[in-house]
Amino acid sequence: MSNTPTYIGFEEYSQHIPASIPAAVQQATSRFIVGRAARVAELPEWEQLRQAGSDIRLHTIENMDVYLAQFEEKVKAAGGHVHWAETAEDARQIVLEIAKTHHVKMAVKSKSMATEEINLNQALEAAGIEAIETDLGEYIIQIAGTGPSHILAPAVHLKKEEVAALFSKHLHMNAPDDPIELAQIARKTLREKFLAAEMGISGGNFLIAESGTLVLVTNEGNGRMCTTMPDLHVAVVGIDKIIPDWESLTVFLKLLARSATGQKLSTYTQFISGARRSEGEFGPNEFHIVLLDNGRSNILKDPIGREVFKCIRCGSCVNVCPVYKNVGGFAYGWFISGPIGAIFAPQMLGTQTARELPYASTLCGACADVCPVKIPIPTILRHLRRRVAQGDEFSKPSMPAPLQVTASLTSAALASHWVYRFGTRLLPLINPLFRHNNWLTNMPYPLSRWTKVRPLPAFGAHFRQWWKKRRTTK
Amino acid sequence: MTNPILENIRRALGRPQETLLGLRPSILEPRTPASPDSEIAFFLEEIENLSGVGQKLAANEVETALKNLVSEQKIGKASVWNTPLLHDLKIAEHLRALGVDVIPPNASKHQIAECDLGVTEADFILPETGTLALRSSEEKPRATSLAPRVHLAIVTPAALRADLHQVFAEAKNSHYLVFISGASRTADIELTLVLGVHGPKNLYVWVI
Repeated sequence: MSNTPTYIGFEEYSQHIPASIPAAVQQATSRFIVGRAARVAELPEWEQLRQAGSDIRLHTIENMDVYLAQFEEKVKAAGGHVHWAETAEDARQIVLEIAKTHHVKMAVKSKSMATEEINLNQALEAAGIEAIETDLGEYIIQIAGTGPSHILAPAVHLKKEEVAALFSKHLHMNAPDDPIELAQIARKTLREKFLAAEMGISGGNFLIAESGTLVLVTNEGNGRMCTTMPDLHVAVVGIDKIIPDWESLTVFLKLLARSATGQKLSTYTQFISGARRSEGEFGPNEFHIVLLDNGRSNILKDPIGREVFKCIRCGSCVNVCPVYKNVGGFAYGWFISGPIGAIFAPQMLGTQTARELPYASTLCGACADVCPVKIPIPTILRHLRRRVAQGDEFSKPSMPAPLQVTASLTSAALASHWVYRFGTRLLPLINPLFRHNNWLTNMPYPLSRWTKVRPLPAFGAHFRQWWKKRRTTK
Repeated sequence: MTNPILENIRRALGRPQETLLGLRPSILEPRTPASPDSEIAFFLEEIENLSGVGQKLAANEVETALKNLVSEQKIGKASVWNTPLLHDLKIAEHLRALGVDVIPPNASKHQIAECDLGVTEADFILPETGTLALRSSEEKPRATSLAPRVHLAIVTPAALRADLHQVFAEAKNSHYLVFISGASRTADIELTLVLGVHGPKNLYVWVI
């Protein structure tokens, strides 16, 4: 998961998932589902909150340029530095440049999806800067050299014995296989890093346009450490994280932790506007924010697809997804998995690269039911399937020509009721060719794509006649 | 100066001009608080739910409570915020009398990191979520509530606010604000809850 993928072979990856992964993932997702349900039940106004969250997000998407411009102006007024990164490469160069100017040798990182998206760690390492993940789960998978298996519990696929073995090897010690002691070892090890690092790197949960404020939500306190101890703080944040004002934030904070971990609020929420004002108060004396586009502004062209930017990264859609629960995070091939990954990756990476992901769903709709900002995930999945099949401005159609012809003929037939009725008379004529009792099996290509998976009922149901008869006899 | 990203956003959205289209949709009504006493009780209950220790204390009970805390948590070194309330309660003096090494709040990060106890005062408290809201300044450094293994926050009922709306209305112009809801926690190894992974393991909240 170290590089931006050029092809995501979901079907193939999901064939090679060790059985331990769905088992561990399901343990985590059940825990999160129960926690969320308890918190949601406490709030009678939950549905109104979801609606408000959705409305505010849509309004913000439609006015993104205005709010981003306001954000930039306010950050500058607060003495912070704003950088705009059109591409992942731009963002990496900006961060490297800042690091070089300050002679940074070590950077401590708080969990951030934007820096995963741009592969910042590799770029830093290549420039001779040590980059250390400090969220316990992220730290574990960083030493293990794997990707995250769950958005909120990235190392959930590893047993405590495996974590102990990793710590023993990496830290040259004899680590016990007890979660509490392992966490204490991490605390001690990472504490030294926090104090020694010259730079703290974070993502951001929200950007408040009204005051130029970065909002950072964490539970362990590592996010606070990264933004309190080093003299330099660089935040890399996607432009979609912008919100209008603090009043809007009241809605999102109520939705986020309840949906994610089943807490009322996460343990620590920081509101950072610029650098420290006096040396003794701690915090960085230089505050930089890198606003990352990396293809997001193009996605805004698609009025259906752009609703993906309503996402507040709670992970509740991931937890309820029957497909995700059986394959885990790795099968999705990028840092973001589950239903949200299936609508984010194809739009970010292109419908060619991630063409299998819109199909990595049963369209059961559980994701849309729990989404705190009402992203119509199944609608977007179907929309992306259409884009994959028919091609879009970035990619050629991936559907084979005979299937395309079949699909357009079917679509024309279903659109006109005369053609449809004529067809229903004609179709029973082909029954004898493929009939096996009441089922049609072994149809020729392209219909074989259906019948090799499941048989088709024999043609011949005369619904209209039946309906007419039923009405007259009633 | 033109900004290519903003230009691209405008093109993608097909926006004719750089002004807001419509107003930000409205937000739910603020919460109506109960009586101060029941709000405090609600707050302390939430602190307990978050694995913290919440207590209501009279000013003259603070000395004894500190004595208990120091022996219970084996406090050797502490740092105390420089605020009028903590001065009036003589927190630093009492701690010194108990044999605790009290270092000034603006000591170096290495010194703060060695402290067993950090004592702060919350600017605002939120009963619904058991949240402490702290701003920062030279007298109120950010590390005191973060680096020591025990965090003691002292508050008065004057800090009570009904909900996020009220706190944000008052605090949105602060250059730094942190919400603390419970002790530092993780469940990253086999989903086992562990307290005190990077921040304090123990949170004490005293309402005076």
